[in-house]
Amino acid sequence: MKELTTPSQYLSKTFGLTPAQLEKVLGIAIGSRDKGAFSDIYFQVGTTEGLVYDQGILKNPSRSDVSGAGVRVVIGDKTGYSYTDHVNFRNLTTAARNAATIALHSQAVEPVQVGPARKPHNLYPLEGVLIGLPLQEKVDLLMMIDKECRKYDPRIKNVTASLSIQDETVVIVTSLGDLILDRRPLVRLGVSCLAEEGSRRETGSSSGGGRVDFEFFLEDDRWKKHAQKAASEAIGLLSAVEAPAGEMTVVLGNGWPGVLIHEAVGHGLEGDFNRKGTSAFSKMIGQKVASDLCTIIDDGTVPGRRGSLNIDDEGVPTGNTVLIEKGVLKGYLQDRTNGGLMRQGSTGNGRRESYRNVPMPRMTNTYLAGGQSTPEEIIKSVKRGLYAVTFGGGQVDITNGDYTFSATSAILIEDGKLTKAVKGATLIGNGPKSLHNVSMVGNDMALDEGTGTCGKRGQSVPVGVGMPTIRIDGVTVGGTGR
Amino acid sequence: MKNDKARLEALAQFVIGEAKRLGATDSDVSISTWSSVDTTVRMGDVEKLETAAQGRSLTVRVFVGKVVTTANTSDFTRRALTKVVRSLIVVAKAAQPDEFAGLPDKEDLASLIPDLDLADTSMSKLSVADKIAMAKSCESAALGFDTRINNSQGASFSDSFGLTVYANSRGFLGSYNGSRCSLSCSIIAQQGDSMQTDGWHTSNRKLANLGSPDSIGQEAARRVLRRLGAVRGSSQEVPVVFDPVMAAQLLGQFAGVAYGSAIHRRTSFLVDKLGEQVACPELTIIDDGLMPGGLGSRPFNGEGQASRQRTIVDNGVLASYFLDSYSARKLGTKPNGGSQTNLYIKPGTKTPEEIIKTVKNGLYLTHVSGPGFNGVTGDYSRGASGIWIENGELAYPVQEITIAGNVLAMLKSVEEIGNDLEFRSSVASPTLKIGSMMIAGK
Repeated sequence: MKELTTPSQYLSKTFGLTPAQLEKVLGIAIGSRDKGAFSDIYFQVGTTEGLVYDQGILKNPSRSDVSGAGVRVVIGDKTGYSYTDHVNFRNLTTAARNAATIALHSQAVEPVQVGPARKPHNLYPLEGVLIGLPLQEKVDLLMMIDKECRKYDPRIKNVTASLSIQDETVVIVTSLGDLILDRRPLVRLGVSCLAEEGSRRETGSSSGGGRVDFEFFLEDDRWKKHAQKAASEAIGLLSAVEAPAGEMTVVLGNGWPGVLIHEAVGHGLEGDFNRKGTSAFSKMIGQKVASDLCTIIDDGTVPGRRGSLNIDDEGVPTGNTVLIEKGVLKGYLQDRTNGGLMRQGSTGNGRRESYRNVPMPRMTNTYLAGGQSTPEEIIKSVKRGLYAVTFGGGQVDITNGDYTFSATSAILIEDGKLTKAVKGATLIGNGPKSLHNVSMVGNDMALDEGTGTCGKRGQSVPVGVGMPTIRIDGVTVGGTGR
Repeated sequence: MKNDKARLEALAQFVIGEAKRLGATDSDVSISTWSSVDTTVRMGDVEKLETAAQGRSLTVRVFVGKVVTTANTSDFTRRALTKVVRSLIVVAKAAQPDEFAGLPDKEDLASLIPDLDLADTSMSKLSVADKIAMAKSCESAALGFDTRINNSQGASFSDSFGLTVYANSRGFLGSYNGSRCSLSCSIIAQQGDSMQTDGWHTSNRKLANLGSPDSIGQEAARRVLRRLGAVRGSSQEVPVVFDPVMAAQLLGQFAGVAYGSAIHRRTSFLVDKLGEQVACPELTIIDDGLMPGGLGSRPFNGEGQASRQRTIVDNGVLASYFLDSYSARKLGTKPNGGSQTNLYIKPGTKTPEEIIKTVKNGLYLTHVSGPGFNGVTGDYSRGASGIWIENGELAYPVQEITIAGNVLAMLKSVEEIGNDLEFRSSVASPTLKIGSMMIAGK
C-alpha cells in the first residue's frame, strides 16, 4: 500500500486546510513585514501503540493519538509560540495571533540567515502500515522473550517485556517558503529481568530499536540478544560486590557507553548555551579540549537510527557535524535561531518534543570515532581498574562542566584481566578536562542499540550515542567500597 | 468556565455510553484541559512568550470482562471518540484477561468532592506585561546582587489554569479546577576560572502566596555565589547534611519504591518490609492529599477514589504503600488513594545552622546529578556538589565528587531532622543529616 501524498494534500486531507489559509496564518504570525520576523507552523499527527508483557501476561495494551500544531514567530533572539490541540483554520489563526505578540517586545532585526541548502534525506523509507496490525504476532514475540529470559536461569523470577510502535508525520511550513513532510516511524523493544536468590534481588535490562518497523526485532534474532543480555545482567549482579570509590582507570565498552560523549561534550556544544556564554565550552573553538585520539561527531543521517531524522523539527535537513577533531574543538550544534545569531547557520539540529514545544539545538546520534587498539589490548593494558559496559543515563552541569553517567554494572580489571563483577556506580568528570585523559581508543566503534532519550529543559527527544572501547585514566568512581 | 465543565462532563458521559453500546463491560474517562502562559526574560529583555489557549487531553480505559485497553487522544469530536472506543474494543477482544484488572469497587469511590481551594482566578487579571515585569524584576534583583554575577539563563513567570474531569461506568462523575503559577530565575557567576550556575524558584496555586520577585532573585544570587571557587573534594567517609531541596529529592526517590506497582512486581527494596523499621525512629513521612491549596492536593485520584492523609513511615516504621486498585487487588489489600499527593517528612526542632554545628568534617549537599539510584536494592550513587563543613561551619564549596550509600541504611542513620519544612513543591522535607556516606573524589 503505497501512498504518495504531497505536504499540501496531506494538510488538506487531514485538517481541511488550503494553501491560501496557511499563507494567511503565516501572514498573521509575521505581522508587519519590516520587523524581519521568521515564522513557521509545525504540524504533528501520529499514533503510538504500547504493549507490556509482565508477570506472564499481557497488560493493558494502549494507544496514544497525537494531533496538533504550533505556530512560532522568531525576531532576532526573541520567540513567540502558541499551539493548538485541535487543528483548524480558526484555532491556527488564534495561535498565530498569540505567537505574534512577541513583536510588541521586539526591535526590527535583519532577517534570519538561511544555512546552505541541503537535500532532505530518505533515511527510513517505509511504505507499509505500522499501526493497527493484529496483536498476535507482537504478543507472541513478547512471550518468546519472557520464555527465553526464564530459560536463561531459574533465578529469573520476573520478566517485563515492552514494545512501543510509533508512526508519526510532521509537516513544516515556513515563512521562507518551505513546505516539507516527514513520516517518522519509531519502534522500541525493552526487556527487564528480575533475579532473586535468597534475600537478594537484582534487575538487568536491555533495549533497542530505531526508525524501522516491527520486523526489525525478528531479524538477526535481535529479540533474543536483548532477552539474554537482560537476564545475564540480572544474574551477574546477584554475586556482584561493592564498587570501589575513588579515582581509577576505567575502560568503557563500545556502543551505549557513548552516553559519556553525550554528557561530557555533547550538551556543552549546543548552540544556545554557547551563544549565551553559559557553557563551560563557550569561546573555546580551536582549543584543545580532548586528547589527540578523540574525534567526536554528531550525525543525524545514519539510516534507520533512533536519533536520525530526514529533516530536523525546523525543516532543515540533518547533517554530519564534526564537534571535536583530534582533540580540537571544531563546532557547535545549531538550530535556525542560534545558528543565525552566531552567523554559522543551522546544522540541522533544531529539535522539539512535540508541537507543544519550541525547538532548541539538540543532538541526533553523537559518537566518538574509532581508533587503532583492539578491545583486548585495552583491557590488558590496565593494572587495576574498572570495565564498564552497561549504563543507565547521565547528566551534566553545562556551566561548570561537571558530568555524571551511571554504570548499572561493571567488572573489576586486575593485572589486565577481568575478575569480579561489581555493582553499579556513578562516574563523574569534568567536560573540558577529562577527555584529555582518554589514553586508548578501540577499533570497534559501534552505535548503541537504539534506546536513548535525551532531556533538556523539560523536553525529551530520541537520540543515539556511540563509541568504541576506550580507556580513560583518573576517572572518579562513586562506589561504596575501599 | 462553568460551561466548559458541563460540556466536558457530558463528553465524558458520552464516551462511557459509547463504550457500553459497543460492548464494553466497564469503562472510565479522564479529561484534562488547560490554558497557560510562560514568559521568559533574559538579560533584562523579553526572550520568549509561550501560550497555550486550549490544551486538552482525554484518556479512556475500556474493560471487556477482565481485559483492559487504554487510549489517549486530543481529538474531542464525538465521531473521533467513537472511533477510538471501537478500536479499543477490537484490541480488547484479541488481548488476554488479567484477573486483577478492573475499576475500583463502588465503596472505594469518592462520595463527596471537597473544595480544596485549588484554583485562583485572580491570575487571569494579570496582563502579559505584568508577568514580564515580575520576571524582569526577579532577574534584575539577582544580576544587581553582586558584580561577579555577570550572566543569566533567564527568569520566567508561568501560570496555568486547568480543569480535570473523571467519570466511570460505575456512576462516578467528578471535576475540579486547579491553577498554578511560578516564578524562577537561573543565573551565572564568574570569578577567575570558576563559572557556576544556580537558581531559585517559587510555585503556588495562588498568586498572592508566590514569593516576591526580589526574594527569589536574591536567593538565586546567594546560591550561585556560594558555589564560586569550588574545589574537588577527596575520597572519605563522612556525615552528609542534605539541604531541604536535596532531602526532598531523596524523599521522592524513596516514595517511588513504595508504590504498589513496584511492590507486587518485587522491584523495590521495600518488599516485605511493612511494619518493619526502615528509618530512624524520629522519621515520619506523611502524604496528605487534602491539604488546602497544596500543590499536590486533589479531591479524588485518577480512579475516582477519595484523597486522604496517609502515614507512609511512622516513627521509622513502614506503615503503608501507595496503593491504587490494581496493586491493592494484586497484594490482597485495600486501595488507599493511589499515587503520592503532598508528601513530606515531619519537621524536627533544630535549625539548619544547629545541625551543621554538629558536623566536624562533612558535606553540606546542595546538588546531585545523574540517575544513580537503584530502587530494587536501594543502592545510591550520585554526582554531587555542595559546601564542605569544617568544625561546624560551612567552609568552602566542593564539586566533581560522588556520594554513595544504600537508601535503607541512609534513612536508618538519619541523625538530625531540621525544623525548616516548607512546601515549595508537592514533595517537601526539612534539612536532614545522614550519619555517614562514602564520598569519592581526588
